[in-house]
Amino acid sequence: MSLLSPAEGWFDKKVSKDEKSWMIIALLLCISMFIWMIMWHVYGKQNPSSITYRTSTAEFSKLSEAYQKQNIVGTDAGIPVVRPQPNSDVIVMAEMWRWSPVMILQKDQAYKFHISSRDVLHGFSIQPVNMNFQVYPSYDYVLEFKPTESGEYKVICNEFCGIGHHTMIGKIVVIEKEEDLKLYGYENFKKAPAPLAEKKNEPLTETEMVLLGEQIYTLKGCAACHKTDGSSQIAPSWKGLYGKEEHVIEDGKKMTVKVDDAYIDESIKTPQKKITVGFENTPMPVFPLTDEEIKQVIAYIKSLKD
Amino acid sequence: MFRTCDITGFKIDLKAEKLIRANAVFAVISLLLAVIAAILLVFTRYQPVHLLSAEWYYRLVTFHGLNALIYWIIFFEIAGLYFGSTVVLNTRFCAPKLGWFAFALMVAGLVLSDIIILMGKADVMLTSYTPLKADPLYYLGIILFAVGALLAVILFFGNLMIARREKSYGDTLPLFTYGLMTAAIIAVITLASGALIYIPTFLWSMGLIQNVDPAMYKLIWWGLGHSSQQINVAAMVSIWYLVSFLSVGGTSINEKVSRTAFVLYILFICLASAHHLLTDPGVSSAWKVWNTSYAMYLAVLASMIHAFAVPSSFESAQRRWGYNKGLFQWLSKAPWGNPAFSAIILAVIGFGFIGGTTGVIFGMEQTNIIVHNTIAIPGHFKGTVVIGTTLTFMGITYYLIPLIFRRKIVGFKWAKAQPWLFFIGIALLSISMIVLGQMGVPRRHWDSTFSGGPFTYNFNPAVDFFWALMMLGGTLAFIATIIWILIVVISVFFGPKVNGPADMQLKISPLAPQPKAHKGFEAPGTLVLTIVFLLVFIALFFLNWKWLAATWYVH
Repeated sequence: MSLLSPAEGWFDKKVSKDEKSWMIIALLLCISMFIWMIMWHVYGKQNPSSITYRTSTAEFSKLSEAYQKQNIVGTDAGIPVVRPQPNSDVIVMAEMWRWSPVMILQKDQAYKFHISSRDVLHGFSIQPVNMNFQVYPSYDYVLEFKPTESGEYKVICNEFCGIGHHTMIGKIVVIEKEEDLKLYGYENFKKAPAPLAEKKNEPLTETEMVLLGEQIYTLKGCAACHKTDGSSQIAPSWKGLYGKEEHVIEDGKKMTVKVDDAYIDESIKTPQKKITVGFENTPMPVFPLTDEEIKQVIAYIKSLKD
Repeated sequence: MFRTCDITGFKIDLKAEKLIRANAVFAVISLLLAVIAAILLVFTRYQPVHLLSAEWYYRLVTFHGLNALIYWIIFFEIAGLYFGSTVVLNTRFCAPKLGWFAFALMVAGLVLSDIIILMGKADVMLTSYTPLKADPLYYLGIILFAVGALLAVILFFGNLMIARREKSYGDTLPLFTYGLMTAAIIAVITLASGALIYIPTFLWSMGLIQNVDPAMYKLIWWGLGHSSQQINVAAMVSIWYLVSFLSVGGTSINEKVSRTAFVLYILFICLASAHHLLTDPGVSSAWKVWNTSYAMYLAVLASMIHAFAVPSSFESAQRRWGYNKGLFQWLSKAPWGNPAFSAIILAVIGFGFIGGTTGVIFGMEQTNIIVHNTIAIPGHFKGTVVIGTTLTFMGITYYLIPLIFRRKIVGFKWAKAQPWLFFIGIALLSISMIVLGQMGVPRRHWDSTFSGGPFTYNFNPAVDFFWALMMLGGTLAFIATIIWILIVVISVFFGPKVNGPADMQLKISPLAPQPKAHKGFEAPGTLVLTIVFLLVFIALFFLNWKWLAATWYVH
């Protein structure tokens, strides 16, 4: 009858028993699948992350270069090899047509990957474990991986990125014990440097402080609002900020302060105390930074001269 | 000017008929372009042959995608919309001149974009994710086509209004046209998304806009790319009901249920863009879970309702014709010699078991991690768009040749075999692609030996077997498509004229007799089949989640 108007009374016709049972089964299946996805977030171990930072290709490139310079332990096929500390941030750069750096990871340890692209979209595909994620330029995607098996893994690109797409392949090595490095010819790579902040006995140089400050700037999300190019849409730009006179409101009263160490320290710890005029509608949240980290951020802001 | 069909008794507006023919002809041309590219692609990915250069491989992937997924399907759908809104409703075409204008825009769009691709100025894939940039004329071609298609859809609504005002059909729209109307509504939403993203991208390619955000682009583009597949689903399901009526005189056992399912498509299908952003930065898990599930799977529910309603319409009619023995006599005594019937049954099976199951499982937030951008994804949509939509369109064409083109089908024996050959070909192709993808093989990738890269990687050795199987399936499907195109072209241009019901090679069944009062189930055979489907789905579901659970931890 699909070519003709339905027979009289079609709207009031009772649904047959078998069709009704099927619909109930189907509906139950649909609801269960929906709940299943939510429950996997609670009990499952594989959930795509929701953490993204806005960055720019220039900013992320700078970060990636600094990261590789600081953490390099050797090279493989011309690509820097790093051996990040467990639970540390790892900066992964995708570009036409290379993944960098090569990573040595420890089995059953977690690593916070920050993945972004220098140019077009790429596909981050770890083989043979077969896990696949999308990589964008100017989005810093944070994925915390914990390798559950040791061995050699390849990162292939599975999003079309131009004519050399098929040559884009990187490497991750997961080791269980130190001797495993021999399997990959990595035994001569010097040990990963201890994180700068942990070198207790010697004070950090100004350059190191700036570098660490910049890492905090990108990794903790300051970059989302504070720009370093002089543009101040959501929050004051950090460029040339240090030493400047700022108009602020404290307890409803307008006043002027000089941007110095004490003021920045206060602004990070209690951002609502003095609000910069012009940014009343975009209040800054509290970021829990240590005193040491705040000093590094200050060093970084100081380095951003006009 | 009308003619009255001596076979069906419908009044046919000759101006509408010409438009239907023109759009159908261009559909076939697009399909031909698409499959020529397809066979070259298959033999490039099949590594022992590795036919094309990298450049031409990516160029033809773009070309194939555009012609197969957009031009073939939309030209055919426009022909279908015109058919459903004039012939079926015994009414005239509201504005034939605008119809030709829309057609001209669509043809211009096709020609322009195809030429630009072949000139090598748009090696950006169908998706053309920014910041990949193509020549402005490429985007312009697609915009022209989309504007033409949108105009055609508006004309469809115009036809419906005329039919309603002139009361040329009964009180209620026939189910077939109702289904097409849902397709048309989804088409408007879809084409609006298309305009929203292609126009800024076009301006950007000319340097008038500085930047098109890649994540925003992907989100909106898939509002076009995925939702347009739901136009296909609605159109395809409408044709399934149509063929049930034509071949066995069947109808939905409860039209209210079928129509409600169509409405569910309209309401929830447009959330499908999320399927492409599950492993992407920028959107939260809550957003992903809600949208990827079409708000708790209500669009999947619609498909599952049709999965029962369509076969049961055949079963119920067959039982009323007296094929009442056991659970499956209705199926064994079905008109298998009718190529439209066999095509539709095979399309239902392929769409459900291959396309549907994988679609739902791959589209879940977490399981997407193990298939995103692998060749399993095109494997999945070969199961929906090719076995489902394309085979359905091929099947209904066997009715359109005598009824609209008024020609007998030349090589009818070939026509009987063609749907089977096509089904087997695409099923092999599709299943091997899904298996390859589950082993990590990427899609849109010229060389899976990574020649020239700093490292290399060897996939599981089992891939060789599935590459061979894929090549075999692709070849069979290619041959089946060429057979279909030859049958269509030869019949339409050189076939003997149809002069009345005696010349119909495909039976048009009278309405099945009224049901006797009966107790119990109306379609027990269908219920058994749907339960089998459910069990297969559940098995695949847990298999995929088990594979996911075996990967590294990530959050």
